[in-house]
Amino acid sequence: MARRAGGGNDIQWCFSQVKGAVDDDVAEADIISTVEFNHSGELLATGDKGGRVVIFQQEQENKIQSHSRGEYNVYSTFQSHEPEFDYLKSLEIEEKINKIRWLPQKNAAQFLLSTNDKTIKLWKISERDKRPEGYNLKEEDGRYRDPTTVTTLRVPVFRPMDLMVEASPRRIFANAHTYHINSISINSDYETYLSADDLRINLWHLEITDRSFNIVDIKPANMEELTEVITAAEFHPNSCNTFVYSSSKGTIRLCDMRASALCDRHSKLFEEPEDPSNRSFFSEIISSISDVKFSHSGRYMMTRDYLSVKIWDLNMENRPVETYQVHEYLRSKLCSLYENDCIFDKFECCWNGSDSVVMTGSYNNFFRMFDRNTKRDITLEASRENNKPRTVLKPRKVCASGKRKKDEISVDSLDFNKKILHTAWHPKENIIAVATTNNLYIFQDKVN
Amino acid sequence: MEFKLEAHRIVSISLGKIYNSRVQRGGIKLHKNLLVSLVLRSARQVYLSDPCPGLYLAGPAGIPAPPPQQQPGEPAAGPPAGWGEPPPPAARASWPETEPQPERPSVSHAPRVGDEVPVTTVTGVGDVLQGGEADATEAAWSRVERPRQAAAREAEGPAGGWGVFPEGSLAARRPCFCPLGGEDPPGTPATTPRTACCCAPRPAEDEPPAPPAVCPRKRGAAGVGGGPAGCPAPGSTPLKKPRRNLEQPPSGGEDDDAEEMETGNVANLISIFGSSFSGLLRKSPGGGREEEEGEESGPEAAEPGQICCDKPVLRDMNPWSTAIVAF
Repeated sequence: MARRAGGGNDIQWCFSQVKGAVDDDVAEADIISTVEFNHSGELLATGDKGGRVVIFQQEQENKIQSHSRGEYNVYSTFQSHEPEFDYLKSLEIEEKINKIRWLPQKNAAQFLLSTNDKTIKLWKISERDKRPEGYNLKEEDGRYRDPTTVTTLRVPVFRPMDLMVEASPRRIFANAHTYHINSISINSDYETYLSADDLRINLWHLEITDRSFNIVDIKPANMEELTEVITAAEFHPNSCNTFVYSSSKGTIRLCDMRASALCDRHSKLFEEPEDPSNRSFFSEIISSISDVKFSHSGRYMMTRDYLSVKIWDLNMENRPVETYQVHEYLRSKLCSLYENDCIFDKFECCWNGSDSVVMTGSYNNFFRMFDRNTKRDITLEASRENNKPRTVLKPRKVCASGKRKKDEISVDSLDFNKKILHTAWHPKENIIAVATTNNLYIFQDKVN
Repeated sequence: MEFKLEAHRIVSISLGKIYNSRVQRGGIKLHKNLLVSLVLRSARQVYLSDPCPGLYLAGPAGIPAPPPQQQPGEPAAGPPAGWGEPPPPAARASWPETEPQPERPSVSHAPRVGDEVPVTTVTGVGDVLQGGEADATEAAWSRVERPRQAAAREAEGPAGGWGVFPEGSLAARRPCFCPLGGEDPPGTPATTPRTACCCAPRPAEDEPPAPPAVCPRKRGAAGVGGGPAGCPAPGSTPLKKPRRNLEQPPSGGEDDDAEEMETGNVANLISIFGSSFSGLLRKSPGGGREEEEGEESGPEAAEPGQICCDKPVLRDMNPWSTAIVAF
């Protein structure tokens, strides 16, 4: 069956599943804070504000039910981080999971890194579907037998049992960050990874927990001179010596670790000059980059600031090659968005598997896709209403001003509490995971 | 004028955010506070450069004293330019204050103070919130006290910035607003009674839970929690500047003790601003008028009548402008 490659608008997106509580009253701990597919797309991990990680696994495609791909069902749930207290600084450390990154699979077990503000943990998720039975010295329930009652010997054998998925923390990388960790990124060498906080980036080896190398440090000697912070960082998907980090000033720096041990001096600086006609009190805030993602090919990178998504060619530093406006109608509302703190929302963005379409979230549970080839874009809504499995999503439109057409939504009736900050795209298929405040929506393209 | 009101509003909102960030779980978010401080700075610049000279003078003298020329370092062509009207020369900027208030001379210094350490000043407020009480008038003090106590009681334990703050310092302590750096010369002329200095317990605070992350000045060490909010009053750094400034006295008669007063008065303004924070805390968000009234009672020891003013916005431009300038 031919599947269309890319094409945000050629695809008809259908509702597939929604996970999470139905009630409107959102428990704070249930707020989803990160979403990530693994390298094969079979597993989908979410982290929440309560420090839990929930992993969904895609069912194997059922040949009979060929109208849809496998559903995602809960595979494993575990408490990754707990709230902590730093007694020296009298600071509470939130357990909210900021990022999850999967390691490529090397054996039967799966590994992922999850991080909160201060500590990164390597988790091993393994399946157990057999258990040994027939011990000589132990009863089945584990109690030890009296050796004098043993009259025969037998060899224990493995017998099948109900599948159990266990998650265990294999490494804990702690005490390396003074500021809040905002990013982790696994290197293409699959041995090292970086973690970035507001002012520093550290390089770790996955096997070594008691030390890390500091590779970027932008903390000024005098904190009064602080003008920008690091907002996101990522390793290049192919070059194990290259990484980028974005700043609150709207710049992206590409660094080469071969150049020096401390990569304070960038190899490339990506910055677009500001448009002076758009200057306002809030220009600096909306230029702050909230997410940076390399394309799968490694040739491009995408950045998300408050109002737009920009695609940069790594070979061109002075301006992005493509810019997509996510919700330009908000530009006139920046003051209100500042008041209600929405202007500080950090939206993420993602590429599809073929790097032809990019996706990001917006308000009112809307999310947007931009097709780089056709230059078309679409706005969809993640909502439980009118969404039965395989219902095709209807494109939405926001009316900025003036006459509102039928089916359009005016800017003033947007719900700014319903925001989609985290989205993920299956690495190979047209399956997307979209996180609203406390629900996870899965959409697929229509399969004929 | 609208720009000024807008800037005014943005400043108050920004300060509210910074204040609230101190009691948030997880500690102060450096990024967000940095952005807020940038907005604060932009708003301040617009506020100072918006040409609205005599409109909202509330002082008896009624004639605005032209402020000294702003430092060349002052990015006068900065954000206000974007508004489509280039900021007028600083001399025409809004200096409505002419009442013989001790803060006046410091007002002229203040832009420099702010320029030097724009980020710091923000934290200066926070510091004062933590460590400094004191308003000039009893009325303001009692108004401030109650919400502070409430806040302190609520934020029990180190989770919130208030909790660590020694409870005893609230009610029992006499108002004192030594900036944390303890730089106030004892001879600071009196806008505020300062008897028992409440600086003493501050070391005991040690690591306040949520020091304004934007400037852990003195201790610079370890980050968000890095050191107590040891930000001395903004007066500390630019101490030299006011001296130069004195060559062009902004208003008469205060040159002698201007320098001495500078630190103290900036701290005074900060504490005044601090009292307006209590307004922010106890009133609904955006209750700008009420805050201003509360804050007014601070400096206006000599003008008790202004506490219940009819046109709070215009009137309050006075103390607001001085307070804002302090940043």
